[in-house]
Amino acid sequence: MTKEKILIFDAGPLINFSMNGFLYLLEELKKSFNGKFLITKQVKYETLDRPVKIQRFELGALRISQLLKTKVLEMPESLNISESEINARTAELKNTANHILENKGKGIEIVSDAEMSCLALSSILSERGIENIIAIDERTTRLLTENPKDLEMTIAKKTQFPVKLSNKSFNDLKKFENFRFIRSPEIIYVAYKKGLLHIEDPKALEASLYATKFKGSSVSWDEIKALKKM
Amino acid sequence: MELSKEECVNAALVLQKTIKALKEKDALVLKDLSNQTIHSSCTFQDSGTITSAVLIYTLSKLIERSDYKKIPSWDKFEKKISSFLKLAISALKQNNHDAYERHMIKARQTLESVSRNLKPYIEEVLRKASINKASKIHEHGISSEKTARMLGLTQWEISEYLGSKPVQERLTEKLTIQKRIALAQSFFS
Repeated sequence: MTKEKILIFDAGPLINFSMNGFLYLLEELKKSFNGKFLITKQVKYETLDRPVKIQRFELGALRISQLLKTKVLEMPESLNISESEINARTAELKNTANHILENKGKGIEIVSDAEMSCLALSSILSERGIENIIAIDERTTRLLTENPKDLEMTIAKKTQFPVKLSNKSFNDLKKFENFRFIRSPEIIYVAYKKGLLHIEDPKALEASLYATKFKGSSVSWDEIKALKKM
Repeated sequence: MELSKEECVNAALVLQKTIKALKEKDALVLKDLSNQTIHSSCTFQDSGTITSAVLIYTLSKLIERSDYKKIPSWDKFEKKISSFLKLAISALKQNNHDAYERHMIKARQTLESVSRNLKPYIEEVLRKASINKASKIHEHGISSEKTARMLGLTQWEISEYLGSKPVQERLTEKLTIQKRIALAQSFFS
Protein backbone atom coordinates (compact mmCIF):
# COMPACT_ATOMS: atom_id res chain seq x y z
CA MET A 1 0.00 0.00 0.00
CA THR A 2 1.37 3.44 -0.96
CA LYS A 3 1.83 6.05 1.74
CA GLU A 4 -0.85 8.65 2.35
CA LYS A 5 -0.25 12.05 0.76
CA ILE A 6 -1.53 15.42 1.92
CA LEU A 7 -2.65 18.37 -0.16
CA ILE A 8 -2.73 21.54 1.97
CA PHE A 9 -5.04 24.29 0.73
CA ASP A 10 -4.36 27.98 1.21
CA ALA A 11 -7.35 30.31 1.08
CA GLY A 12 -6.74 31.50 -2.52
CA PRO A 13 -7.54 28.29 -4.45
CA LEU A 14 -10.60 27.57 -2.29
CA ILE A 15 -11.97 31.08 -2.82
CA ASN A 16 -11.14 30.83 -6.52
CA PHE A 17 -12.87 27.44 -6.93
CA SER A 18 -15.87 28.53 -4.89
CA MET A 19 -16.34 31.69 -6.96
CA ASN A 20 -15.97 29.72 -10.20
CA GLY A 21 -18.21 26.81 -9.20
CA PHE A 22 -15.25 24.39 -9.34
CA LEU A 23 -15.46 22.96 -5.82
CA TYR A 24 -17.02 19.78 -7.23
CA LEU A 25 -13.59 19.08 -8.74
CA LEU A 26 -12.13 18.67 -5.25
CA GLU A 27 -14.81 16.07 -4.45
CA GLU A 28 -14.02 14.25 -7.69
CA LEU A 29 -10.25 14.41 -7.22
CA LYS A 30 -10.54 13.22 -3.62
CA LYS A 31 -12.29 9.99 -4.72
CA SER A 32 -9.15 8.69 -6.42
CA PHE A 33 -6.62 10.42 -4.15
CA ASN A 34 -4.69 8.38 -1.64
CA GLY A 35 -4.65 10.88 1.17
CA LYS A 36 -6.31 13.92 2.65
CA PHE A 37 -7.03 17.51 1.67
CA LEU A 38 -6.28 19.64 4.73
CA ILE A 39 -6.92 23.24 5.73
CA THR A 40 -5.63 25.03 8.82
CA LYS A 41 -7.76 26.98 11.28
CA GLN A 42 -6.31 30.20 9.82
CA VAL A 43 -7.38 29.25 6.28
CA LYS A 44 -10.80 28.22 7.59
CA TYR A 45 -11.16 31.69 9.08
CA GLU A 46 -10.41 33.36 5.72
CA THR A 47 -12.57 31.03 3.63
CA LEU A 48 -15.47 30.26 5.95
CA ASP A 49 -15.70 31.81 9.41
CA ARG A 50 -15.30 35.44 8.28
CA PRO A 51 -17.01 35.48 4.84
CA VAL A 52 -20.03 33.56 6.10
CA LYS A 53 -20.91 36.70 8.07
CA ILE A 54 -20.80 38.87 4.93
CA GLN A 55 -23.90 38.63 2.74
CA ARG A 56 -21.93 39.05 -0.49
CA PHE A 57 -19.78 35.97 0.24
CA GLU A 58 -22.07 33.88 2.43
CA LEU A 59 -22.99 31.35 -0.26
CA GLY A 60 -19.37 30.85 -1.32
CA ALA A 61 -18.41 30.24 2.30
CA LEU A 62 -21.26 27.77 2.80
CA ARG A 63 -20.06 25.78 -0.21
CA ILE A 64 -16.68 25.43 1.50
CA SER A 65 -18.41 24.52 4.76
CA GLN A 66 -20.14 21.68 2.91
CA LEU A 67 -16.76 20.25 1.88
CA LEU A 68 -15.74 20.15 5.54
CA LYS A 69 -19.01 18.43 6.49
CA THR A 70 -18.48 15.74 3.86
CA LYS A 71 -14.80 15.41 4.83
CA VAL A 72 -13.52 16.33 1.40
CA LEU A 73 -11.61 18.95 3.37
CA GLU A 74 -10.36 18.08 6.82
CA MET A 75 -8.61 19.83 9.67
CA PRO A 76 -5.07 18.84 10.76
CA GLU A 77 -6.50 17.33 13.97
CA SER A 78 -7.58 14.40 11.77
CA LEU A 79 -3.87 13.54 11.66
CA ASN A 80 -3.36 14.28 15.34
CA ILE A 81 -1.63 17.57 14.59
CA SER A 82 -2.67 20.06 17.22
CA GLU A 83 -3.75 23.63 16.64
CA SER A 84 -1.18 24.84 19.17
CA GLU A 85 1.67 23.14 17.30
CA ILE A 86 0.61 24.80 14.04
CA ASN A 87 0.10 28.16 15.74
CA ALA A 88 3.58 28.14 17.27
CA ARG A 89 5.22 27.20 13.95
CA THR A 90 3.09 29.78 12.09
CA ALA A 91 4.16 32.57 14.44
CA GLU A 92 7.82 31.63 14.00
CA LEU A 93 7.60 31.53 10.19
CA LYS A 94 5.57 34.73 10.00
CA ASN A 95 8.02 36.58 12.21
CA THR A 96 10.95 35.40 10.09
CA ALA A 97 9.24 36.17 6.77
CA ASN A 98 8.29 39.65 7.93
CA HIS A 99 11.92 40.47 8.75
CA ILE A 100 13.57 39.07 5.63
CA LEU A 101 13.11 42.28 3.67
CA GLU A 102 14.17 45.50 5.29
CA ASN A 103 13.85 49.21 4.78
CA LYS A 104 16.53 51.07 6.75
CA GLY A 105 16.98 48.14 9.11
CA LYS A 106 13.27 47.67 9.78
CA GLY A 107 11.39 44.60 8.58
CA ILE A 108 8.61 44.89 6.01
CA GLU A 109 5.50 42.87 6.75
CA ILE A 110 4.81 40.93 3.57
CA VAL A 111 2.82 37.91 4.76
CA SER A 112 0.04 37.06 7.16
CA ASP A 113 -1.25 34.12 9.21
CA ALA A 114 -3.15 31.92 6.75
CA GLU A 115 -0.40 31.46 4.18
CA MET A 116 2.25 30.94 6.87
CA SER A 117 0.03 28.37 8.59
CA CYS A 118 0.11 26.32 5.37
CA LEU A 119 3.91 26.36 5.45
CA ALA A 120 3.83 25.50 9.14
CA LEU A 121 1.60 22.49 8.53
CA SER A 122 3.70 21.41 5.56
CA SER A 123 6.91 21.49 7.62
CA ILE A 124 5.29 19.49 10.44
CA LEU A 125 4.07 16.87 7.95
CA SER A 126 7.49 16.66 6.30
CA GLU A 127 9.12 16.11 9.68
CA ARG A 128 6.73 13.19 10.15
CA GLY A 129 7.74 11.79 6.78
CA ILE A 130 4.37 12.54 5.15
CA GLU A 131 4.56 13.67 1.52
CA ASN A 132 2.71 16.92 0.99
CA ILE A 133 2.18 19.84 -1.37
CA ILE A 134 0.64 23.26 -0.78
CA ALA A 135 -2.05 24.54 -3.15
CA ILE A 136 -1.52 28.28 -3.13
CA ASP A 137 -2.23 31.05 -5.62
CA GLU A 138 -0.47 33.67 -3.54
CA ARG A 139 2.66 34.70 -5.39
CA THR A 140 4.40 36.46 -2.49
CA THR A 141 4.63 33.26 -0.45
CA ARG A 142 5.79 31.20 -3.42
CA LEU A 143 8.49 33.75 -4.26
CA LEU A 144 9.70 33.74 -0.67
CA THR A 145 10.55 30.08 -1.15
CA GLU A 146 11.33 29.90 -4.84
CA ASN A 147 12.76 33.29 -5.78
CA PRO A 148 13.30 35.73 -2.85
CA LYS A 149 15.61 37.93 -4.93
CA ASP A 150 12.71 38.66 -7.29
CA LEU A 151 10.54 39.64 -4.35
CA GLU A 152 13.25 42.01 -3.11
CA MET A 153 13.58 43.61 -6.56
CA THR A 154 9.82 44.01 -6.97
CA ILE A 155 9.25 45.69 -3.63
CA ALA A 156 12.30 47.96 -4.01
CA LYS A 157 11.29 48.98 -7.53
CA LYS A 158 7.64 49.56 -6.72
CA THR A 159 8.03 51.38 -3.41
CA GLN A 160 11.07 53.35 -4.58
CA PHE A 161 12.48 52.80 -1.09
CA PRO A 162 15.86 51.20 -0.37
CA VAL A 163 14.52 47.71 0.31
CA LYS A 164 16.93 44.80 0.60
CA LEU A 165 17.23 41.30 1.97
CA SER A 166 18.35 41.52 5.61
CA ASN A 167 21.82 40.46 6.72
CA LYS A 168 20.28 37.49 8.50
CA SER A 169 18.27 36.51 5.45
CA PHE A 170 20.75 33.90 4.24
CA ASN A 171 20.00 31.77 7.30
CA ASP A 172 16.38 32.83 7.57
CA LEU A 173 15.60 31.87 3.99
CA LYS A 174 16.67 28.30 4.76
CA LYS A 175 13.45 27.97 6.77
CA PHE A 176 11.55 28.52 3.52
CA GLU A 177 13.37 25.93 1.47
CA ASN A 178 11.90 22.56 0.57
CA PHE A 179 8.25 23.61 0.25
CA ARG A 180 6.42 22.51 -2.87
CA PHE A 181 3.59 24.48 -4.42
CA ILE A 182 0.89 24.06 -7.03
CA ARG A 183 -1.74 26.61 -8.02
CA SER A 184 -5.41 26.58 -9.05
CA PRO A 185 -4.58 26.22 -12.78
CA GLU A 186 -2.50 23.08 -12.17
CA ILE A 187 -5.35 21.50 -10.21
CA ILE A 188 -7.75 22.37 -13.04
CA TYR A 189 -5.33 20.83 -15.55
CA VAL A 190 -5.02 17.58 -13.57
CA ALA A 191 -8.81 17.39 -13.20
CA TYR A 192 -9.21 18.00 -16.94
CA LYS A 193 -6.72 15.25 -17.81
CA LYS A 194 -8.56 12.87 -15.50
CA GLY A 195 -11.81 13.69 -17.30
CA LEU A 196 -13.40 15.29 -14.25
CA LEU A 197 -14.38 18.67 -15.67
CA HIS A 198 -17.58 17.25 -17.19
CA ILE A 199 -17.76 20.03 -19.76
CA GLU A 200 -17.73 18.50 -23.20
CA ASP A 201 -16.29 21.17 -25.39
CA PRO A 202 -12.85 21.56 -26.99
CA LYS A 203 -12.55 24.91 -25.22
CA ALA A 204 -13.35 23.53 -21.75
CA LEU A 205 -9.73 23.60 -20.55
CA GLU A 206 -8.89 27.10 -21.74
CA ALA A 207 -12.18 28.48 -20.45
CA SER A 208 -11.54 26.95 -17.04
CA LEU A 209 -7.99 28.31 -16.92
CA TYR A 210 -9.18 31.79 -17.89
CA ALA A 211 -11.78 31.55 -15.12
CA THR A 212 -9.10 30.85 -12.50
CA LYS A 213 -7.06 33.80 -13.79
CA PHE A 214 -10.03 36.17 -13.67
CA LYS A 215 -10.68 35.24 -10.05
CA GLY A 216 -7.18 36.19 -8.95
CA SER A 217 -4.90 33.20 -9.57
CA SER A 218 -1.43 34.43 -10.54
CA VAL A 219 -1.13 32.55 -13.82
CA SER A 220 0.18 34.43 -16.84
CA TRP A 221 -1.29 34.44 -20.34
CA ASP A 222 1.88 32.73 -21.58
CA GLU A 223 1.44 29.95 -19.05
CA ILE A 224 -2.17 29.43 -20.13
CA LYS A 225 -1.01 29.28 -23.74
CA ALA A 226 1.59 26.66 -22.80
CA LEU A 227 -0.97 24.63 -20.86
CA LYS A 228 -3.32 24.54 -23.82
CA LYS A 229 -0.54 23.03 -25.94
CA MET A 230 0.44 20.35 -23.41
CA MET B 1 5.74 50.50 11.94
CA GLU B 2 5.93 54.27 12.55
CA LEU B 3 6.79 56.66 9.74
CA SER B 4 10.35 57.94 9.60
CA LYS B 5 10.91 61.71 9.95
CA GLU B 6 11.48 61.98 6.22
CA GLU B 7 8.21 60.17 5.54
CA CYS B 8 6.35 62.43 7.99
CA VAL B 9 7.50 65.41 5.91
CA ASN B 10 6.34 63.67 2.70
CA ALA B 11 2.99 62.69 4.20
CA ALA B 12 2.43 66.28 5.39
CA LEU B 13 3.23 67.57 1.91
CA VAL B 14 0.74 65.16 0.35
CA LEU B 15 -1.98 66.34 2.72
CA GLN B 16 -1.19 70.00 1.98
CA LYS B 17 -1.55 69.32 -1.74
CA THR B 18 -4.76 67.38 -1.03
CA ILE B 19 -6.33 70.39 0.68
CA LYS B 20 -5.50 72.54 -2.36
CA ALA B 21 -6.71 69.95 -4.91
CA LEU B 22 -9.91 69.40 -2.95
CA LYS B 23 -10.61 73.13 -2.97
CA GLU B 24 -9.93 73.26 -6.72
CA LYS B 25 -11.91 70.04 -7.31
CA ASP B 26 -8.97 68.55 -9.19
CA ALA B 27 -9.68 64.81 -9.38
CA LEU B 28 -6.53 63.97 -11.34
CA VAL B 29 -4.21 65.55 -8.78
CA LEU B 30 -6.09 63.82 -5.96
CA LYS B 31 -5.74 60.43 -7.66
CA ASP B 32 -2.02 61.01 -8.16
CA LEU B 33 -1.59 62.05 -4.51
CA SER B 34 -3.38 58.90 -3.39
CA ASN B 35 -0.98 56.79 -5.45
CA GLN B 36 1.98 58.60 -3.91
CA THR B 37 0.92 57.45 -0.44
CA ILE B 38 0.87 53.80 -1.54
CA HIS B 39 4.65 53.46 -1.53
CA SER B 40 4.89 54.33 2.15
CA SER B 41 1.69 52.39 2.93
CA CYS B 42 3.50 49.24 1.76
CA THR B 43 6.73 49.89 3.59
CA PHE B 44 5.50 51.36 6.87
CA GLN B 45 1.93 49.97 6.91
CA ASP B 46 0.79 52.62 9.40
CA SER B 47 -2.94 53.11 9.61
CA GLY B 48 -2.73 56.90 9.14
CA THR B 49 -1.17 56.60 5.69
CA ILE B 50 -3.47 53.75 4.66
CA THR B 51 -6.53 55.79 5.71
CA SER B 52 -5.07 58.74 3.84
CA ALA B 53 -4.65 56.71 0.62
CA VAL B 54 -8.26 55.44 0.71
CA LEU B 55 -9.73 58.81 1.71
CA ILE B 56 -7.91 60.82 -0.99
CA TYR B 57 -8.84 58.25 -3.66
CA THR B 58 -12.50 58.34 -2.56
CA LEU B 59 -12.51 62.14 -2.78
CA SER B 60 -10.98 61.94 -6.27
CA LYS B 61 -13.77 59.58 -7.36
CA LEU B 62 -16.53 61.79 -5.91
CA ILE B 63 -15.15 64.77 -7.82
CA GLU B 64 -14.35 62.89 -11.02
CA ARG B 65 -17.95 61.63 -11.30
CA SER B 66 -19.39 64.95 -10.08
CA ASP B 67 -21.00 62.93 -7.27
CA TYR B 68 -19.84 65.56 -4.80
CA LYS B 69 -22.84 67.59 -6.01
CA LYS B 70 -25.08 65.09 -4.23
CA ILE B 71 -23.52 66.03 -0.91
CA PRO B 72 -25.57 68.78 0.75
CA SER B 73 -23.53 71.91 1.50
CA TRP B 74 -20.36 70.55 -0.10
CA ASP B 75 -18.40 73.72 0.71
CA LYS B 76 -19.04 73.28 4.41
CA PHE B 77 -18.13 69.61 4.14
CA GLU B 78 -14.92 70.40 2.24
CA LYS B 79 -13.88 72.87 4.94
CA LYS B 80 -14.52 70.29 7.67
CA ILE B 81 -12.43 67.63 5.91
CA SER B 82 -9.67 70.18 5.30
CA SER B 83 -9.65 71.18 8.96
CA PHE B 84 -8.96 67.57 9.98
CA LEU B 85 -6.27 67.31 7.31
CA LYS B 86 -4.64 70.47 8.70
CA LEU B 87 -4.66 68.94 12.19
CA ALA B 88 -3.10 65.78 10.73
CA ILE B 89 -0.37 67.90 9.11
CA SER B 90 0.39 69.59 12.46
CA ALA B 91 0.59 66.16 14.11
CA LEU B 92 3.00 64.93 11.42
CA LYS B 93 5.20 67.99 11.89
CA GLN B 94 5.44 67.10 15.59
CA ASN B 95 6.05 63.41 14.80
CA ASN B 96 2.88 62.64 16.76
CA HIS B 97 1.77 59.45 15.03
CA ASP B 98 -1.21 58.73 17.27
CA ALA B 99 -2.67 62.19 16.66
CA TYR B 100 -2.01 61.84 12.90
CA GLU B 101 -3.96 58.57 12.79
CA ARG B 102 -6.74 60.00 14.93
CA HIS B 103 -7.25 63.05 12.70
CA MET B 104 -7.20 60.92 9.54
CA ILE B 105 -9.88 58.65 11.02
CA LYS B 106 -11.94 61.74 11.91
CA ALA B 107 -11.63 62.96 8.32
CA ARG B 108 -12.87 59.58 7.05
CA GLN B 109 -15.73 59.60 9.57
CA THR B 110 -16.73 63.05 8.33
CA LEU B 111 -17.12 61.57 4.86
CA GLU B 112 -19.03 58.53 6.16
CA SER B 113 -21.49 60.62 8.12
CA VAL B 114 -22.20 63.09 5.32
CA SER B 115 -25.93 62.30 5.14
CA ARG B 116 -28.16 59.37 6.01
CA ASN B 117 -29.45 59.08 2.45
CA LEU B 118 -25.97 59.04 0.95
CA LYS B 119 -24.41 56.76 3.58
CA PRO B 120 -24.79 53.46 1.62
CA TYR B 121 -23.43 55.13 -1.51
CA ILE B 122 -20.43 56.68 0.29
CA GLU B 123 -19.70 53.36 2.01
CA GLU B 124 -19.67 51.63 -1.38
CA VAL B 125 -17.31 54.25 -2.85
CA LEU B 126 -15.04 53.84 0.19
CA ARG B 127 -15.14 50.03 -0.17
CA LYS B 128 -14.24 50.25 -3.84
CA ALA B 129 -11.46 52.72 -3.02
CA SER B 130 -10.12 50.30 -0.42
CA ILE B 131 -10.15 47.46 -2.97
CA ASN B 132 -8.37 49.67 -5.50
CA LYS B 133 -5.70 50.60 -2.95
CA ALA B 134 -5.42 46.93 -1.96
CA SER B 135 -4.63 45.98 -5.54
CA LYS B 136 -1.90 48.64 -5.65
CA ILE B 137 -0.40 47.43 -2.37
CA HIS B 138 -0.53 43.80 -3.57
CA GLU B 139 1.19 44.92 -6.76
CA HIS B 140 4.07 46.10 -4.55
CA GLY B 141 4.71 42.51 -3.41
CA ILE B 142 2.64 42.33 -0.22
CA SER B 143 0.57 39.12 0.03
CA SER B 144 -3.15 39.37 -0.66
CA GLU B 145 -4.08 38.18 2.83
CA LYS B 146 -1.77 40.72 4.45
CA THR B 147 -3.15 43.42 2.14
CA ALA B 148 -6.73 42.47 2.99
CA ARG B 149 -5.94 42.73 6.71
CA MET B 150 -4.32 46.15 6.27
CA LEU B 151 -7.43 47.56 4.59
CA GLY B 152 -10.10 45.73 6.57
CA LEU B 153 -11.20 43.73 3.52
CA THR B 154 -11.61 40.02 2.82
CA GLN B 155 -9.52 38.00 0.39
CA TRP B 156 -12.74 37.32 -1.53
CA GLU B 157 -13.08 41.01 -2.40
CA ILE B 158 -9.44 41.29 -3.40
CA SER B 159 -9.36 38.08 -5.49
CA GLU B 160 -12.15 39.27 -7.75
CA TYR B 161 -10.50 42.64 -8.34
CA LEU B 162 -7.00 41.24 -8.88
CA GLY B 163 -8.32 38.91 -11.54
CA SER B 164 -9.52 41.85 -13.57
CA LYS B 165 -6.13 43.60 -13.48
CA PRO B 166 -3.38 42.93 -16.02
CA VAL B 167 -0.59 43.83 -13.59
CA GLN B 168 0.00 40.35 -12.25
CA GLU B 169 2.35 39.36 -15.05
CA ARG B 170 5.23 41.36 -13.63
CA LEU B 171 6.94 38.69 -11.55
CA THR B 172 8.72 35.78 -13.13
CA GLU B 173 7.92 32.27 -12.03
CA LYS B 174 10.96 30.29 -10.98
CA LEU B 175 9.32 26.96 -11.84
CA THR B 176 8.17 26.61 -15.43
CA ILE B 177 4.54 25.68 -15.98
CA GLN B 178 5.71 22.35 -17.40
CA LYS B 179 7.59 21.54 -14.18
CA ARG B 180 4.70 22.60 -11.97
CA ILE B 181 2.27 20.51 -14.00
CA ALA B 182 4.61 17.50 -13.75
CA LEU B 183 4.69 18.03 -9.97
CA ALA B 184 0.90 18.19 -9.78
CA GLN B 185 0.39 15.16 -12.01
CA SER B 186 2.85 12.99 -10.11
CA PHE B 187 1.26 14.05 -6.81
CA PHE B 188 -2.20 13.04 -8.01
CA SER B 189 -1.03 9.82 -9.73
